[in-house]
Amino acid sequence: MQDELQEALKFIGKETPRKDAGDIVRGKANFIDDIKLSGMLHGRVLRSPYPHALIETIDVSRAEVLEGVKAVLTYENVPNWKGGLPPHVGVLDRKVRFVGDAVALIAAESEEIAEEALELIDVHYKALPAVYDTEEAMKEQAPQLYSEFPGNVFPLACPWMGPDSLQEVVIGDVEEGFAESDYVVEGTCAYDNIPNPLPIEPPGVIANWEGPEDLTVWSSTQSPYFLKVILHYAMGRINVRSIASHCGGSFGTKVAPWQLAFYAAALAKVARRPVRISYSKEEHFAAYTLRLGSRFSGKVGIKKDGTIMAVAGDWLINAGYCSDAAQGMVAVGCGEVQLMVRSPNWNIKPKLVCTNRNASKMVRGYGGQELEAAFIPVLTMALEKADIDPFDFFKQNYVKPGDGYYWRDGNWWVSRGINYEKAMQEGAKAFGWKEKWKGWLQPTSIDGNIRTGVGVGVHGNADVGEDVSEAYVRLDPDGTVLIYSCLSEHGTGQRSSVCKMVAETLKVPLERVSLAPPDSEVNPYEFGPVGSRGTYAIGAAIIRAAEDARQKLLALSAPYFNSTPEDLDTKDGFVFLKGEEDKKVSWKRGVGFDRTCLGYGRFEPDFSVPNFAMVFVEVAVDTETGKIEVKRVLTATDVGKIIDPQSLQNQLHGCLGSAGLDTAIYEESVLDTKTGRILNSNMIDFKWRTFLELPVFDSVTLETPVQTHRFQSVGVGEIMTSPAPPAVLMAVSNAIGKRFNRYPLTPDIVLEALGKCQKTEVRSRK
Amino acid sequence: MKSLQHVNVYTVEEAVNTLREFQGEAMVIAGGTDITGVLKDKLLPDYPKALVNIKTIPALSYIKEESSGIKIGSLATLSELSKSPLLQGQYKVLAKAACNVATPQIRNMGTIGGNLGQDTRCWYYRYPHSLGGRIMCLRKGNGPCLAVAGDNRYHSVFGGQGCFASCPSDTAVALLALNAEVKVTGKWGTRTIPVQEFFHPRGNSLKKVELIQEIQMPYLAEKTRGCFLKYTLRKPVDFAIVSVAVLVAMEEGVCSEARIVLGAVAPGPLRAKKAEDFLKGKLIDATVLEEAGHLAVSGAKPLSMNSYKVEIARTLVVRALTDCAFD
Repeated sequence: MQDELQEALKFIGKETPRKDAGDIVRGKANFIDDIKLSGMLHGRVLRSPYPHALIETIDVSRAEVLEGVKAVLTYENVPNWKGGLPPHVGVLDRKVRFVGDAVALIAAESEEIAEEALELIDVHYKALPAVYDTEEAMKEQAPQLYSEFPGNVFPLACPWMGPDSLQEVVIGDVEEGFAESDYVVEGTCAYDNIPNPLPIEPPGVIANWEGPEDLTVWSSTQSPYFLKVILHYAMGRINVRSIASHCGGSFGTKVAPWQLAFYAAALAKVARRPVRISYSKEEHFAAYTLRLGSRFSGKVGIKKDGTIMAVAGDWLINAGYCSDAAQGMVAVGCGEVQLMVRSPNWNIKPKLVCTNRNASKMVRGYGGQELEAAFIPVLTMALEKADIDPFDFFKQNYVKPGDGYYWRDGNWWVSRGINYEKAMQEGAKAFGWKEKWKGWLQPTSIDGNIRTGVGVGVHGNADVGEDVSEAYVRLDPDGTVLIYSCLSEHGTGQRSSVCKMVAETLKVPLERVSLAPPDSEVNPYEFGPVGSRGTYAIGAAIIRAAEDARQKLLALSAPYFNSTPEDLDTKDGFVFLKGEEDKKVSWKRGVGFDRTCLGYGRFEPDFSVPNFAMVFVEVAVDTETGKIEVKRVLTATDVGKIIDPQSLQNQLHGCLGSAGLDTAIYEESVLDTKTGRILNSNMIDFKWRTFLELPVFDSVTLETPVQTHRFQSVGVGEIMTSPAPPAVLMAVSNAIGKRFNRYPLTPDIVLEALGKCQKTEVRSRK
Repeated sequence: MKSLQHVNVYTVEEAVNTLREFQGEAMVIAGGTDITGVLKDKLLPDYPKALVNIKTIPALSYIKEESSGIKIGSLATLSELSKSPLLQGQYKVLAKAACNVATPQIRNMGTIGGNLGQDTRCWYYRYPHSLGGRIMCLRKGNGPCLAVAGDNRYHSVFGGQGCFASCPSDTAVALLALNAEVKVTGKWGTRTIPVQEFFHPRGNSLKKVELIQEIQMPYLAEKTRGCFLKYTLRKPVDFAIVSVAVLVAMEEGVCSEARIVLGAVAPGPLRAKKAEDFLKGKLIDATVLEEAGHLAVSGAKPLSMNSYKVEIARTLVVRALTDCAFD
């Protein structure tokens, strides 16, 4: 049966043209900046010069009278809406909490007028002391950001993940575990370079009130329906219609741009006209979304044979000035660390802390990358003690079918997924791991001042089946198929891929399948393509809807054949008797020209299928200049079944960008802790890899069928950034024989480790 | 960006007159790759009323050879410099420096005049006004240098006079090695400034009603070999963390003349005179070049976070000298 299905596949796993490719290339795809509503005003935000201050007085009278200005808002006259988790961030506040925090909002006839008006607002601040470091922020004397969060610590509960959301990893008895260990190592590592994942398009939202309780928002988002839900609760249970534009990249950061929606909606309410808030690249850098700051301090106990006996430590997480579901990232991070290390005893205690800098919000890697990048350098101290090859260790440890773990909902789940050992093995073979690995802190080769080294990292999540998806599939009598799913296109090609699933299920030509626009008024509930869930969760709902529609079609056509639906099949817009394909009838004649068949599909959360990615890297280090060159990257994974080869390849390549691999060598936001300002809010000083510097990139991708949906597939898109940063750290350590416990490894850090320059003042940007 | 006037001019004289008419409230634009960013980010407290576009002056775009040496019009683009058949032999360091600037698109737009006259990349100085207001500092006429106590990883390692911004120009480094002079024209006529003196601790010596007209490079007496090296985090796009231009004349293994210039380590390009003097008359071997490297960075006074630049500069000097001496 399986072989039959695989053989018969026409679209799944085959190269097919991406549905929106032509529109993008021809400039016909509508991104948020292409949407222009009649009477639309342009909103701008006045931003705080202080990292922490109270507004003593604010005078907007000069701005209000500037010609073309239609609305001016301060904390004194904004609606009482609240975002964040738990809700704590208003539209505007009398207190500002980071340099760049919103002080006032203006809507005007043009961007230029709005900008001019910003200059006419007079504000007097009372500066307050600021804090940037997690440990400092938790001290008794530290400045307090919110009265409701004493000690600057957020509660860890994440209600939308369930009443028992995971808030720590506590299993067994770590003291016993350490006692049984042959070696116990202790260390600290910081992954707190707070990089910006930096999708090409800055965020943007347009808001328009259709009635006093009826708001429509257009946004560049990854999850239009989820944004509707968030705004509904945050804005006092109003009705929200949420429409997604084409989204110019997100990497998690545009799942729910509620803050921009607040600004646009508040201004639109006063101006009684549509208002567009479109961030500049500078705002995108310094006032939108960074990765979480993360630091792990703890102990690992290991036996001589490489068996981990206990892991214990504090995980300090820096959320910046607010928490936008950072609790969810803590929960998922706590789950993901259990997937990569097998230990009978755990005690990891997270602390989620607010500080006076731009917020860390949802980013690809979602908690696990942050925890693992800080934890693995401590773990590898133990592997070094026991002289265990990290590849062998990961192969031994990574979660296998039958293994259990606590997941984000706080429940114990048992994997029924793929055994990834084969993918690891083939990846290692293709990379030449066994030849290149020379032992801990040993270079692979030395050529004068150039030393090469290798490293490996692993990551996976059990979120491929997270949250709910719903879909309708409508069969039209003319033989075309329309999918209703609130799935927006955020660059991965997922809208195109679900069409392939439906075309395959209904055996219709791909060009006859299309999707309704991503509009919450048209489509049922959809959480969005996050956590690699597009392939399994969204795919399953849509496939079920297609199967449901197919059943209805066959049932309605059965009388025509004097037969039962079970004896019928459909292909190319015709229904026929199984085994007698020439006895066929068009959908139109089968069901009537005046009837459509509507199928419904729903996906319920399932955390029992972990996905997996391993990344091997080879670096060359110039010991005279401290320069690191990533020479080669190889990804290894197993996806069950490839849906779209090109989209998959793009996701695998994604390991390099979007605050992934290069956070180990140069991607970072430089926060000046004297002024609270982010100094590199531009495309030159924020170091991100250009296309001219791509390393040799290979991938090993296996297809071992897994029981998910009809096509036995599992998504891997979201996880590809995560294994790489600690792998690069490992590779550089091996190349030059020095350990590191921080990121990124800029030349000053490398030369300092080599004893070739003075110790750099510790950059406290935590 | 605020709206402003954009005035095309067709002769140098017209450019100067237009600048005069605006009484110092106009700025010159050529390729615009630097000034557009300065204006968009509203770095400076004073916003110009007008931009005087000199791209429309046909007479400023040339690279020519005369008996005294090579002359380059200020509008010659960095792409043209990279490919010019006239920039051979000792002048190749300039072509190499130009070729190392930014990206092909920027080199197609950016001019040699603009590369010399561009504003510093100090990230305090460049902090965009829209994110809580521009940062005032000594270079802007008012305020302390925040880099001293702040994040100074890219700043000067050879001191500063209250301002520790480093010079971002790649071509300046090569031009100083080549002993070039800058011809500028203003309301008082034309003057010629050695590259060394063109740069000031807090900017350059261009007055508000002045523009760069020409770069002049003399012939150097000896037959020299040159090398330009630029250290960046990324190959394309980046400004130098350190750059080095070296010219060496050798006779039977003995150095008869050496010019060593360091870039991005001081407010202007910096000649390493001690190292130059040390090399003169020496039989060159690896030990001698190592010593020259040490001398080239002697006197460096790194700030709290940038001593690594000293080590990189030293390495680059040795590598560039090695390239010239043994190639």
